[in-house]
Amino acid sequence: MKDAFVPNIVGFLCNWCAYTGADLAGVARLRIPPSLRVIRVMCSGRIDPLFVIKALLKGADGVMMMGCHPGDCHYQKGNFSARRRFVLLQTILDSLALEPERIGLSWVSASEGQRYSKVTTEFSEKIQERGPNPIRDEIFV
Amino acid sequence: MNGSKLPGAQDAEKSVLAFLKTGLEKRCFEAVMMSHRVPAGDGYAYVLIKDPALLEGASPLPPVIPVQGAKALSALTRWGPPKETILAVMHPCEIRAAVELFKLKQASLDHIVFLSFDCPGVMPLSDYVKNPGEADRTYAAARRKWESAKMRPLCRICNEFVPAASDLHIGLLGAEEGSAWLFPVSPEGRRIMDSVGLETAVSSDAWEREAAERKTVREKERQEAHQVSRDRVSGPDGLLAAFSSCINCHNCMRVCPVCYCRQCYFDSEAFKLPPENYVERARKKGSLRLPADTLLFHLGRMSHMALSCVSCGTCEDACPMDIKVGQIFSLVADNAQKQLNYLPGRSREDPLPASVYQEEELEGVEKPYVETYSRTGDRDGAGSENQ
Amino acid sequence: MAQVLKINKSVDQGLTAFLEFLLKEKKVSGVVTLKKNRGGPGISYALITRPEELDGARPLFPLMPANSGKILSRLTLRGPLKDPIAVVLKPCELRALIELVKRQQGSLENMIFISQTCPGVYPLEMSVDGDLDALASRYQDQVQSGQHIPEIRPACRSCVHFTPQNADIIVSLIAEAGLDRSCSLVLNSKKGEALADGMAGEKREQDLNSQELAHFSDHRKTARLKLFDEMGEKTKGIKGLIGLFGKCIGCHACGNACPICYCNLCFFESQPNESRPNSFRADLEKKGAARIPAGTLFYHVGRLAHMSVSCVGCGMCMDVCPVDIPVGTLFSRVGESVQKTFEYIPGSKIDEPLPVAVFKEEEFAQLGEG
Repeated sequence: MKDAFVPNIVGFLCNWCAYTGADLAGVARLRIPPSLRVIRVMCSGRIDPLFVIKALLKGADGVMMMGCHPGDCHYQKGNFSARRRFVLLQTILDSLALEPERIGLSWVSASEGQRYSKVTTEFSEKIQERGPNPIRDEIFV
Repeated sequence: MNGSKLPGAQDAEKSVLAFLKTGLEKRCFEAVMMSHRVPAGDGYAYVLIKDPALLEGASPLPPVIPVQGAKALSALTRWGPPKETILAVMHPCEIRAAVELFKLKQASLDHIVFLSFDCPGVMPLSDYVKNPGEADRTYAAARRKWESAKMRPLCRICNEFVPAASDLHIGLLGAEEGSAWLFPVSPEGRRIMDSVGLETAVSSDAWEREAAERKTVREKERQEAHQVSRDRVSGPDGLLAAFSSCINCHNCMRVCPVCYCRQCYFDSEAFKLPPENYVERARKKGSLRLPADTLLFHLGRMSHMALSCVSCGTCEDACPMDIKVGQIFSLVADNAQKQLNYLPGRSREDPLPASVYQEEELEGVEKPYVETYSRTGDRDGAGSENQ
Repeated sequence: MAQVLKINKSVDQGLTAFLEFLLKEKKVSGVVTLKKNRGGPGISYALITRPEELDGARPLFPLMPANSGKILSRLTLRGPLKDPIAVVLKPCELRALIELVKRQQGSLENMIFISQTCPGVYPLEMSVDGDLDALASRYQDQVQSGQHIPEIRPACRSCVHFTPQNADIIVSLIAEAGLDRSCSLVLNSKKGEALADGMAGEKREQDLNSQELAHFSDHRKTARLKLFDEMGEKTKGIKGLIGLFGKCIGCHACGNACPICYCNLCFFESQPNESRPNSFRADLEKKGAARIPAGTLFYHVGRLAHMSVSCVGCGMCMDVCPVDIPVGTLFSRVGESVQKTFEYIPGSKIDEPLPVAVFKEEEFAQLGEG
């Protein structure tokens, strides 16, 4: 019996690596979670921690940050900042017991269509096990 | 006008909630904006409610005003009106402030229907926060008897507890304890009553008489209170003493419904001066209080918003140093508004007094200056025909 | 071993006499310290240039009407001080100022810092009735007796950074015997020594009493752990956060009182953050109701994302909250977590960069590659 819950996942993908990798996965008809919504940014360094927080508070079940592997950033250093910001987010969510497992960071290069499929599917499965984000139903957020 | 006695006589709140429930179920309005208890039970917040089941924790006659309703309405409609009708249950001062914000282009009133009520006032926020359970009980008792002794200082002297710009009004004054009337004040209000299925057969005479009597008493109390405030802040010493413990947190400005600027002038670059400015001022007087310009902030804010001040008292609720800022601003606001024959929130059609003028007006104010400066010879001899 | 100047007056009078000496001898062009308000109740910071005006000065008064780091940042925002000014401030205020200067929000040039080992201050609401003298004498007795003062703010009760690191002169208050007869100024830097040169008093070599301070610190550490654990339990998960912030009125008093929050126009007060009509419709459909104004939790979690790395635990946020939410305890707790993760102590070293502004090419290697 198929589980009714399909996780709503928001993915912030950098244009040069992750988004291209995702495109490659699509072209190759590789498996991608059905309700992963992709938002393209030019660099993972553009991802403001507030985007992730807003997505979670609006009820997203999972949020992914994806970009180039460290050292390969199209703009040299953006993903290093992204990595630090992810750590900041993780620490804050952990402190508040707001399920830091609902956010994920993955480095996916432009040629890694297979890897894109793998990491997104794994993340989505983890989120599905976790269940829907309890913030979804809250009015007083 | 003719209205209806709301069915269900145990408690006015319950009968109003029943009316709202019917309205939502029958889609007479799409949603209701009103106060709702917060999950922890220690406060209230404005909530836009579409699902009638969620009316359970809502309170049309809440004991406190944590967020001024006009500010909430502005947050809802600043960027555009709702597509369908929303019934907004607000206190009279909140409705008046909403009308002012509409004139200031910070809120839209399209598709907004106001439901007001005879407001006995609300409790000071700090009293409520100290012991919410007890405050709820105190307020419920005070509301049933329409007693204002435990309410905020500005509420106790409020003479505009029946708003003119409302669409529907819940009459509590003159009604039997626990019951309430519903009067249609505007055609829109009448339409809603019709669609909910409430007859408009009961005369409002009894209510109007009682409300008028109370208003007369209140007007007198207001004058007396303003005189006390005036005596307290008279002269530069009085005003300095009144604002002496101000820590410049600017809470009063931020919670004020009329203060809508995203960046207040008094927080802007104009007040970020080079150190030489402060050091020089300190040198001149021997000592300079920091942060500086406390009185300038308050007097400046008065000059910006006094003409639209509805004396709601939210500023006083927010002050961490318990300064009687609301009472002082109310005194100044009343006087300024009287000079220009203006009552904020009375009507959408009244233009903002500072944005219009007539070529011939305010001669009483102008006269002494005209006399002094058109006098020839005595002063500096310029223009004297005897020279 | 540091040099200590011992002035034979009570600690308050001794420090005031020292400030008077500084002004009279023109060692500084002004002093910034707490001063009783003339013509009305309350106490505020003042920039004093004339010695006579030190009359109402109460440098060690147990109140923080504002975080003076914010005030000093404002004072030097448009440029550094041209002449030396001595500033009397508490350790958390100095740390906040350093964090602000790292963000280009002021300058430390020509500022000489006189701080203290801080026993804590009373909540602002204790001063609302205006009887400052009663407060001052009560505080004096409590500090003198060496006890951990019960009525000080929660932020102070849980503070473990009560010994300032970057001060030029430190007034020894904690675990100091005889505060009613002597004022001990630890000269912590060359600037401090130069300032004290010529001031009447005994000079000797002595450090702050490290054993007593360690003991004091242990007590504080325990209190901090307890307070933070309780807060952690209370705010677990979304229900916990909503329970804490349910009554929040979105006035942003906490952000405005916070020394670290310096933005001219806070993101959360700007246009992009305002709700559009459609956002309400979506919530109405999905949940049947929507809170107005929206974004109560977004403000707090967002503000944590912005400033938790520099939170100095000064507790101003709690003093100004109109609905008594213990914001500061939550923020300090999350701040501590974040600062530990980045191995950063705010306000400790002026040339230590902000962890969010730098990165290492090799770090957190386990992230992202799974």
